[in-house]
Amino acid sequence: MQDNKKKQVLLVGNPNVGKSTVFNTLCNKKQKTGNYAGVTVASHSGNYAYKNEEVEVVDLPGSYSMYPSSEDEAIFSKFLIDEQENYSGVVYILEALSLKRGLLLFQQIQDLGVPMILVVNQIDQADRRGINIDIQKFSEALHIKIIQTNAKEQIGIDEIREAVFNNDFVKTGKASFETPNEHKDFVKKFASHKGLDNEYKAWMTLSSGAELGRIDSIHDLLNEADSKSLVPKRLQVQETVRRYQNVDKILADVITKKPQFKELLTEKLDKVLVHKFWGYVVFIGILLIIFQSVFFLAEYPMSWIDDFFAWLSSFTGEHLPAGPINSLISNGIIPGLGGIMVFAPQIGILLYFLYLLEDSGYMARVIFLMDRFLRPFGLNGKSIVPLVSGTACAIPAVISTRNIENVRERLLTILVTPFMTCSARLPVYSIVIGLIISDGSFFGIKYKAIVLLGMYLLGFLTALFSAALLKRFIKNKGKTYLVMDLPAYKKPLFGYDFKMVLGKVWDFITGAGKIIFIVSIIIWFLSYFGPTKKADEIVATNVKLDHSYLAKMGKAIEPAIAPLGYDWKMGVGIITSFVAREVFVGTMSTLYSLDNDAPEMKVIDKMRNDVKPNGEKVFNFATGVSILLFYAFAMQCVSTLAVVYRETKSWKWTGFQVVMMTGLAYFVSMFVYQILK
Amino acid sequence: MKEKGLHRLSGFPKNKMGKIVGYDNDHLKMPNKIIEMGLLPETIFRILYQAPFSGPMYVEFGEEKSRIALREEEGNYIIVEDLD
Repeated sequence: MQDNKKKQVLLVGNPNVGKSTVFNTLCNKKQKTGNYAGVTVASHSGNYAYKNEEVEVVDLPGSYSMYPSSEDEAIFSKFLIDEQENYSGVVYILEALSLKRGLLLFQQIQDLGVPMILVVNQIDQADRRGINIDIQKFSEALHIKIIQTNAKEQIGIDEIREAVFNNDFVKTGKASFETPNEHKDFVKKFASHKGLDNEYKAWMTLSSGAELGRIDSIHDLLNEADSKSLVPKRLQVQETVRRYQNVDKILADVITKKPQFKELLTEKLDKVLVHKFWGYVVFIGILLIIFQSVFFLAEYPMSWIDDFFAWLSSFTGEHLPAGPINSLISNGIIPGLGGIMVFAPQIGILLYFLYLLEDSGYMARVIFLMDRFLRPFGLNGKSIVPLVSGTACAIPAVISTRNIENVRERLLTILVTPFMTCSARLPVYSIVIGLIISDGSFFGIKYKAIVLLGMYLLGFLTALFSAALLKRFIKNKGKTYLVMDLPAYKKPLFGYDFKMVLGKVWDFITGAGKIIFIVSIIIWFLSYFGPTKKADEIVATNVKLDHSYLAKMGKAIEPAIAPLGYDWKMGVGIITSFVAREVFVGTMSTLYSLDNDAPEMKVIDKMRNDVKPNGEKVFNFATGVSILLFYAFAMQCVSTLAVVYRETKSWKWTGFQVVMMTGLAYFVSMFVYQILK
Repeated sequence: MKEKGLHRLSGFPKNKMGKIVGYDNDHLKMPNKIIEMGLLPETIFRILYQAPFSGPMYVEFGEEKSRIALREEEGNYIIVEDLD
């Protein structure tokens, strides 16, 4: 009988060695991704079948050593050690151009007694540089099976599958790192005390400081000399230096070099891309191209989707039997969903660009360029990745802070990233800007576009200045530093990234769609029924919107929102959109579609013509600006809150973020409305 | 023979060849990542670029021509000598 348990293998390596490419070519189907825009932060897994064997591949975040310096690397080490029972082995990826650095982590894992297969990727790059690697000798020196690949050209992928199928994983008998003599006795004592069969495991436990932090538990093993010399950091340095010396010896026999090599693309490109002046020009240029595409390229698919839902709404309105169900579907659910689907193209385009930038290796240059400018605000160059990804969605952006080593810089980045203008704000901005800004243009640029750009700028500046303010109140734990690899440029995985974007957009549609579906039904329900005027009726059905339960509820909160210039309909929108900002638009679409007084108009025209009881327009300039600012600042997103809690593990900071953002939103909107009205 | 001067990596002139000789006497304050990334004694390096206003340095080093970015503060821990 066949074993039903799937074989699990881990994909491990330094960052930027082409791990994702190998993963992608290996698992051509059934991917379960937890990979987010910006960086490969969470492990994700995929499957493939080879000769009737199902294999699950887990792609771990890249790391340089087993000693974590960021949350990202901590996840990596923990998984590798704690899950040892569950996986068959590790497929370790080395980049042909940086064997030395990659071997440090490789040998650490090997010494832990993990069965491994070694893959040397991007052999073509080494060839071009005139570097010759003697694989035979290399394999003998490391006591392991080596597969050469060029994952981009699909070369060597089947060899990996074959090796996994044949269980070619090798567990080394002899550790490449020997415990230094001065610590040998103690490490042995410690290993037997802990019941560890592997000496390196004992050494690693000690040098990672996990055990020394709780020194009581091993106190009776220690003598005075030991306790003085066992400084975790010193042990780590000792290990790293020795390992590199060992690696140097191995590589000296394995690598032969021709004297000349061509200048690589990376060297040429970096002359411009990290240039003191041109580097910034290019970065701003790239941002402009992205935003230009998001707003203008997306217009076409957006109008198709819009037209489709308008058609669907009128079609169902005409063809379904008249009555409450007809009203629910054609005036409640369809306009609500349509209001959200229409933004899928913008989100998709934005995410696609972010994936491409990350894949190509350009993001590391942006960090290099921006570090100096973000530091005065208490942020790190690495904060630029969450900030830029925050323009798509705060959720992956918050998760991508995991590679920021310093705790304070990471917390600050998490707290301010939701100020960045995410794509869920776009629906709100587009509608409100459409209502209050005229169609004119300034030197060929539409006023509407300028205002929208201003909203993005506002989000960015608010993020920066709130970070600068908050940094005074958050204690700095640990040193801030920047030591970061600048990977060689690579051609991005256009097709793979496109697939990822489709997945993310689908998540957005189904995620937001579910909420909006439910909210539309509730709103329709509350607006279709109203308190009765006659004694013999339980409820009144098909009432005028103004007499419905919904209106009653909205009017109850009016005192709180009146100073901001909002009527009860907007109040309902603000409350429902506490779940997610885009729900505001869905709610408005549903509410105004339900308004029977002017059934033939488009929703936006109904909104434009709507008047308050005193004859004042509901969406005038003052209320419009007020609502724009409210949505710019308020934390209207339950999913982001959940992620912030997960990443900070603190109710205090999560609660603080809600109060800070929503409080700021309320007072700024009130202030601006009172001035403008 | 002219004695080769010792410097710190930060402040080392751009585009000149240098060699790492060691670290600031107390390397316990130095981020381990510097060593893990391969900036070890005897390594030959060149500073290729630096971001404006004393921003991070772009260092190319070793036989494999690895490239990393690090700040001047980190560069201060690393003692280097002039090879020219």
